[in-house]
Amino acid sequence: MSEELSDAAAPAAIAAQEEAGAAPRAPAGFKRVYAVWFRHFRVYSNFFFANATPAIFEPLFLMLAVGLGVGNYIKQTFNGGLDYASFMAPGILAMTSLYTAAFEASYGTFIRYMYQKTYHGMLATPLTRRDIFLGELLWCGTKGMLFSSLVGLVLFLFGKVHSPAAVLIPAVGFVTSVAFAGLSFFVTSFVNSINHFQYYFTVVLTPLTFFSGLMFPVQELPANLAYIAYALPMFHVIETFRLVVSGPEHSSVPWAWACPFVLVGMAVTLGYIGVRRMEGKLKP
Amino acid sequence: MSETARVPLDFKPSGPPAIEIENLVKRFGALAAVDGVSLSIPRGICYALLGPNGAGKTTLSRMIGAVSRGDAGKLTVLGRDPWREQSEVKARLGVVMQDEVFDEDLNVLRNLQIYGLFFGRRGEAYERKIREMLKFVQLEGREQMPIQALSGGMRRRLMIARALLNEPELLILDEPTTGLDPQVRHAIWATLRALKAKGMTVLLTTHYMEEAEQLADLVGILHKGKLVVEGPPSGLIAKHLPRFVLEFDAHKDGAALDAIAAKSAIERHGDRAFVFHDSEETLRGWATASRLQGSPVRAASLEDVFLKLTGRTLDE
Repeated sequence: MSEELSDAAAPAAIAAQEEAGAAPRAPAGFKRVYAVWFRHFRVYSNFFFANATPAIFEPLFLMLAVGLGVGNYIKQTFNGGLDYASFMAPGILAMTSLYTAAFEASYGTFIRYMYQKTYHGMLATPLTRRDIFLGELLWCGTKGMLFSSLVGLVLFLFGKVHSPAAVLIPAVGFVTSVAFAGLSFFVTSFVNSINHFQYYFTVVLTPLTFFSGLMFPVQELPANLAYIAYALPMFHVIETFRLVVSGPEHSSVPWAWACPFVLVGMAVTLGYIGVRRMEGKLKP
Repeated sequence: MSETARVPLDFKPSGPPAIEIENLVKRFGALAAVDGVSLSIPRGICYALLGPNGAGKTTLSRMIGAVSRGDAGKLTVLGRDPWREQSEVKARLGVVMQDEVFDEDLNVLRNLQIYGLFFGRRGEAYERKIREMLKFVQLEGREQMPIQALSGGMRRRLMIARALLNEPELLILDEPTTGLDPQVRHAIWATLRALKAKGMTVLLTTHYMEEAEQLADLVGILHKGKLVVEGPPSGLIAKHLPRFVLEFDAHKDGAALDAIAAKSAIERHGDRAFVFHDSEETLRGWATASRLQGSPVRAASLEDVFLKLTGRTLDE
């Protein structure tokens, strides 16, 4: 095709707009945040299943192999009469929400920052740094909501969901993913090479997942070790999921009612810190 | 206070300026990337910020584009403070960056739709605008094309089309033709001239002399974060230099160096020797007398002005 352009081809609309003298106004803050959210939705709905795979299938394989497979040999009951797979179910949901957010807000965010220059492009528009990362945080929450719901549905089909409060799984998934997206933003803000995320996943997230009541009841550990587990953020996530999936009678600790509040507090605090850190990484 | 040498405009601007800058400073650690720049850009003109890599062009244009904050000084864009009122200012700007940022996995139309959403624009009127702008940059009918299938020139034109979708009052282009072949460069210049003819204010950063001479009404030359000189391209040359220049290799043509030095002052920059004079004939005479090869006499250019003022070439 010809690369030649004609001087005469200037669009009439530019002149028309200038005559009208209407200065375009920036969209309101919530609309800007929504626009960022929608951008992620649009881009990732293209690859929905590819994106969903690690966050959904890894926990589900763990459920199949360990919860149902190994669980078959465990005749003992857990947390007031639960079979092993039912005991694991809340942890599986927590793991799904955690990894959904952690992948998106670490590798995903870093790739958009370093390689795709997505944020640099967004900054040329009325979006502010805050809009960009708030929208992204909410997108992580949305993804966590969707994926935990899908996994919840599968757990329900396995017969491992015992409470009608399980309809709240999407809400807990959302809050959990916001909290871990905030934590992952925080980590991403310090990272200069994509390879550094290996430490985060292996040294931070894996133990966080496995020592917070996913595979075994941490309340039965020796007291000092149990206290360490209670201090881990993931314990509160799993107990919150346990409240809605199995009901309060199957909680690990008598104060499990406080866990949802701790979780919401973590989401707000980590979300705030993470967004602020990423704003700073996108240097003014 | 400013040390900038200014050549007056050869036309009278009307209305408040699009951009006003007073003593603007931006530091990165110990380095002052922009070191006390003052300038005023009237509406409806094309202003070219010229300078070698690292002169502070991009830093300055990022501050004007409300993406970066100055450390000191005053900056007004379209009558507002671009940092305090980022969203409002950016809603009225069109920006073409050096990096071509698209969502590579989406097609042309989806990219432009999402971009519109960032400006709060959508719906039938916006879709019409998309078609119109694609036509303007000769990408009509390419709505469904994946971004990855576009050539370098097409991507750059799509960047320009995208920057115009919000009907900006000020278009900022950072090195719009760097890395493009000459044919595409000329096509983009034609596009920019057409916009200028419609009254668009254009701020252009470039290290191509020819680009500035082709497009700009006003040129500001940045050097080490300072605006060293400003004025219309022809006026700048006229003010700082005689009309013609004889340029030759000072080493290879050492004999010429001595012969001409007897008649006129010679400026040396590295291997190159420059002799300036208002008469092309005189210079040609000297060149012939010294048996200089090729056609060493040409009109003095902005590059010569820059070289004279800073002792450096722009492409360094």
